[in-house]
Amino acid sequence: MIDPINYLIFSSVLLMIGAYGVIKNKNAIVVLMSVEIMLTAANINFIGFSSYYHDLSGQVVALFVTAIAAAEVAIGLAILLSLFEQRDTIELDLLNRLRW
Amino acid sequence: MSETISDVKKYNFIIHEFFHGFSLHIGAAILTLFVFTEGFSKSFVSVAWMIPVFPIVAFLFILLFGHYDPRRGGSIALVGVGLSSVFSLSVAYEVLITNSLHGGFEESSRVWFSGQTYAFEFGTYIDSLGALLLLVVGLVSFLVIVFSTSYMHDEGDRQVRYFAEITLFVAVMLGLLIANSFLLMFIFWELVGVCSYLLIGFWYEKPSAASAAKKAFLVTRVGDVFLLLGLVILFNTFGTLRYSELFSDPTLLADHSDELKWATLCIFGGAVGKSAQFPLHFWLPDAMEGPTTVSALIHSSTMVKAGVFLVARSYPLIVHSPDTAIYIAVTGTVTAFVAASMAMVMNDIKRVLAYSTISQLGYMFLGLGTGAWTVWHATHEGVEVHAQGYMAGLFHLMNHAFFKALLFLGSGAVIHAVHTQDMREMGGLRKSMPITSTTMGLGVLSISGFPLLSGFWSKDEILEAVHHNGEYDSTFSLLWWMALLTAAMTAFYMTRMWFMTFSGPEERYVETMAQSKDHSDTGNWILRKDKIEVHAHEAPYVMTVPLMILGTLAVFSGLSLVLGDGFGARVYYGSHHGEGGMIQWGIINHILLSPLTHLSVAVGMSGMFLGVLFYRRGPDGKSAFSADFVSENAITKPFHTFLINRLYMSKFFNWFGMRTWDTFARACDWFDLNVIDGVVNGVANLSQVFSHRVRKINSGFTGHYASLTVGGLGAIVLLTRIIMPFMGWSL
Repeated sequence: MIDPINYLIFSSVLLMIGAYGVIKNKNAIVVLMSVEIMLTAANINFIGFSSYYHDLSGQVVALFVTAIAAAEVAIGLAILLSLFEQRDTIELDLLNRLRW
Repeated sequence: MSETISDVKKYNFIIHEFFHGFSLHIGAAILTLFVFTEGFSKSFVSVAWMIPVFPIVAFLFILLFGHYDPRRGGSIALVGVGLSSVFSLSVAYEVLITNSLHGGFEESSRVWFSGQTYAFEFGTYIDSLGALLLLVVGLVSFLVIVFSTSYMHDEGDRQVRYFAEITLFVAVMLGLLIANSFLLMFIFWELVGVCSYLLIGFWYEKPSAASAAKKAFLVTRVGDVFLLLGLVILFNTFGTLRYSELFSDPTLLADHSDELKWATLCIFGGAVGKSAQFPLHFWLPDAMEGPTTVSALIHSSTMVKAGVFLVARSYPLIVHSPDTAIYIAVTGTVTAFVAASMAMVMNDIKRVLAYSTISQLGYMFLGLGTGAWTVWHATHEGVEVHAQGYMAGLFHLMNHAFFKALLFLGSGAVIHAVHTQDMREMGGLRKSMPITSTTMGLGVLSISGFPLLSGFWSKDEILEAVHHNGEYDSTFSLLWWMALLTAAMTAFYMTRMWFMTFSGPEERYVETMAQSKDHSDTGNWILRKDKIEVHAHEAPYVMTVPLMILGTLAVFSGLSLVLGDGFGARVYYGSHHGEGGMIQWGIINHILLSPLTHLSVAVGMSGMFLGVLFYRRGPDGKSAFSADFVSENAITKPFHTFLINRLYMSKFFNWFGMRTWDTFARACDWFDLNVIDGVVNGVANLSQVFSHRVRKINSGFTGHYASLTVGGLGAIVLLTRIIMPFMGWSL
């Protein structure tokens, strides 16, 4: 039996890595990928505690999260495509028109 | 197409016929209504509510259809006011001649709306006082409107507005007279103020007229505030404002004499404003800016008499407060004296009459105050008494209404003829305007107290009442002397007015310096005599017939004191023991043989004699004595200047206003600009500066938002998981 603290540490580290990627990266596709990493961190928690408590509902939620993440990525990539068509770039530093 | 045009013509023809044959219609309408009312009531007093309804309906009709009328609303006004006059006179006939109420009153009331504790009732309250005022207002207002149809003829379409306003004016005044509670009367009272504002400012494009209207409205408003205050005191004390309930219990009233003192003083304050008494008198002369007919109506019956009526109406309250009674008498006398002194120096014919009105109103208040004091004094001594002052004041009110309407309408006819109001530019009109000059002469004799004319009887009654009170209180002796002096001044300024207007040659020469024909060569000036010709002609019959009617009344209305049961047998307060018979010989003997009468007649005649000496211009245009030395003599000149500047009252109020209210207003303005606006603008500025700084957070970079989110999450975790447990707090 694996101690749940290991899941927590692992998922926390993964979440931090994802957050760092979201904050630091300029490329919108890489940012999307970092968001996926953060979602994975959450999924690890779900699955880990599911096996710890012998309860399958955690895994069900993880499946849902995966499905929704896939849908989200589809929409995100579609937005990025149309953005690229209009502005010829997906560099986030150049896309700052919505400000004060 | 042709058919339509002929239809329109026919339509116009019908309207034309309707309005031109209006006299027939008046007759028919009066007859119908007479039969109608006779059929269902047998008594005009019980249908008194209809009196103000006619003119109000006429007012609406004039507003809607006045432009179709060839007289521009005049016919409708004549019908409306004529009908209400018929009703008013019928009520007066029933009450005053046939004595149907036997000294009591008849009230009818309906509930308009009611709350939990108070129901507002409106209705009519007719007693001999109301009937007397109805007689005066009904008669004079109709004659004034007849006169106006000719006088205002040059005004064109603006007559519609004139007739609408004057009809409403008459309506609300009649409503004021028949109201059955102080509250309802106050409503009409305010409406009278509004109408007078509209009519005084009829020529609103003239700045002087506009400001006179404002002045009249604001000054009377000061009095109205007092009146409202008095009514509040009454309501708080007795819980009702209905006349019949208020007046029904004298012992209850006597128990509350302190409250009554303040209430009646405040009510008299309202009368002071409306009737232009001493501290608030200065709006009335300025109110001359309106058309002369309006002045006649305001001065003789409609507006200023409302104040006298109010005091007479609240007599059952005033008799419990001797302070108020004396205050009324003193105010009246001071006003009479001061206004008469100013009337002696005015050169504007309407201003002379305006000051004369103020003075005569003062006389009425003197009579009323004296009577109230008499009643209080007698009650104190435990005897019943007939308040002679009350009867005399109201008697003077009636007579004054007739001769002052006559004088004003006469002056209107003169102004209509010569197109000036300055008496110095008039003169010599006697030949060209025989009817006007004769009737006005009768009015002058009457107001001056010429024996056996109406002014003589009432003035004498007032003086006698005051003199009688002088036996108990020396204040009244002083008042009597002042009133006697006022009588002399009245005779003087009225004679002066008449002779300045009508006497003298028809053609006068005015000497002026002019450049001679060879002025360019020699530079000589010559004395040239310019001929001033009087182009005046007598006014049309529509204007002279009302003058003749009023002239007759001015001469004979005083006889109502001694004919039949006598005036005092109908309009009285307290107890009255009259003798029967056709003619009251007792009163005649009493008046004609009394040394007081001889004295007052002598005083009045000497005033008239002085007026004749100074102002009667012979055929050469010179008077026996020149009046100029009064205005140029070193001793009398300051007085003359003082009087001709109207006691500097207006100036004083302007100065006072600038010093007090203007300073206060400036302080308020400063406070508003700096403190109130400062707070508002300060808050706005602060948030603007703050948001200017804070909005920089919205950088537009995704990374910044993400780091803020993560940082915020971290801060929450830090706070809830580490800091709060460490400090021992819990959510």
